[in-house]
Amino acid sequence: MSIRHARAGLSGLAIALVPLSPGVAHEIVGNRFFPATLGIDDPGVNDELALPTVDSFKTGDAPPVRQRDISGEFSKRITEDFAVSFGSTYTFLGPTDPTAAGANGFQNLDTTFKYRVYRNPEHEFVMSVGLSVEWGGTGGKSVGADPFNTYTPNFYFGKGLGDLPDTLSWVRPVAITGQVGYAIPGRNSTTTFGIDPDSGLATVDTEFHPRVLNWGATIQYSMPYLKTAVVDLGLPDFINRLIPLVEANLQTPVANTLTSGTMTTGTINPGVIWVGNTFQVGIEALIPINRQSGTNVGVIAQLHLFLDDIDPHGIGKPSFGNAVQPASPFARN
Amino acid sequence: MRRSSVFGIFPLLLLLATGEASAHAMLDHAEPRVGNKVAASPHEVTLWFTQKLEPAFSTVTVTDPAGKQVDTGKVRVSGNQMSVSLRPGGPGTYHVTWRVLSVDSHSTDGSFAFQVGQ
Repeated sequence: MSIRHARAGLSGLAIALVPLSPGVAHEIVGNRFFPATLGIDDPGVNDELALPTVDSFKTGDAPPVRQRDISGEFSKRITEDFAVSFGSTYTFLGPTDPTAAGANGFQNLDTTFKYRVYRNPEHEFVMSVGLSVEWGGTGGKSVGADPFNTYTPNFYFGKGLGDLPDTLSWVRPVAITGQVGYAIPGRNSTTTFGIDPDSGLATVDTEFHPRVLNWGATIQYSMPYLKTAVVDLGLPDFINRLIPLVEANLQTPVANTLTSGTMTTGTINPGVIWVGNTFQVGIEALIPINRQSGTNVGVIAQLHLFLDDIDPHGIGKPSFGNAVQPASPFARN
Repeated sequence: MRRSSVFGIFPLLLLLATGEASAHAMLDHAEPRVGNKVAASPHEVTLWFTQKLEPAFSTVTVTDPAGKQVDTGKVRVSGNQMSVSLRPGGPGTYHVTWRVLSVDSHSTDGSFAFQVGQ
């Protein structure tokens, strides 16, 4: 559910499309550890808890609104390759116009069903599909939560470059992940009836809810990979656990766009993730790609717990069946 | 989230950072060091992992520049350490391929290379 967006209404303004929910799921494929990224979701499934994810930025409205979010997401494997995650976000909206009122409240609850369809350790490649459901009416209208469901089929992939030849060994720590989703609102439009205060005539205002292509990608350079699979430079342990990365998190309305327009909005997020044995912490800047996406550089940070490592025999294992185990001691060549 | 809830996370973080929580066994370091060069063919390769290993399900193989297996096949596992002896070999790039099962039942695998020669 990670590329999600709120169109919050405050004082009649439509707040820019912004990411709200933390990405979940770290993944290990051969030599490659794909961390849980903050903007888009990762290509794998796992048992984990992202709590909290916090962000702060100014929206693209005129005048802009200061938005702060605190969110959490819990992901649980049902089988080795299938997981369900639940997420919730609490939003604080603070207008920069002192005469306008602020608002705060929960966004709609999210549920994501995700299935890993392919994993190739040799080529460090993994691919998953999923369906995210935003449950309409479970959040507050004051922070823009829609009263209808939104369904988003998603495709995820991750590819490490560890199979490059020896001459390009310094590029091997690079990995690319991506996510593409198509958000389908459960309602095509909302019509509001009112009275024009000046003329006294009845008014009809119709807002069309667009279908939105949510797309994003990350490029990462893994210092853990550099140390354990390419060259051990003897760097301090803190450095060896860093994964600098850049995320792109974009939204393009593609259908039913009569009132929304088709302009792409989103952010480019440079940042870094520090990976421990049982948790990771990450922080990224939120750089809007245009005026409609925001009016300043925001920030997002996350603490992410690996439940499969913290409690491997309890909540950190699949509900049905155990994690994949070797049936016998490994055969030797 | 109330501020007290946020602060409550930090003791948990500290526990996880320093405690005995189990985790995937990831390669921590190796001797010869990953990607480094040694003057002469080493007598053995030793790998240290971030978790204790299950000896029966942990293995490592080493191949010489010609792709021929040069380890003796007798893997020794002790705690989070795994070693295998090597037969003498010539200069060039040696490849190490490992696969381990940590005591908490997670399996991981990986590979790296080191060079022998002046």
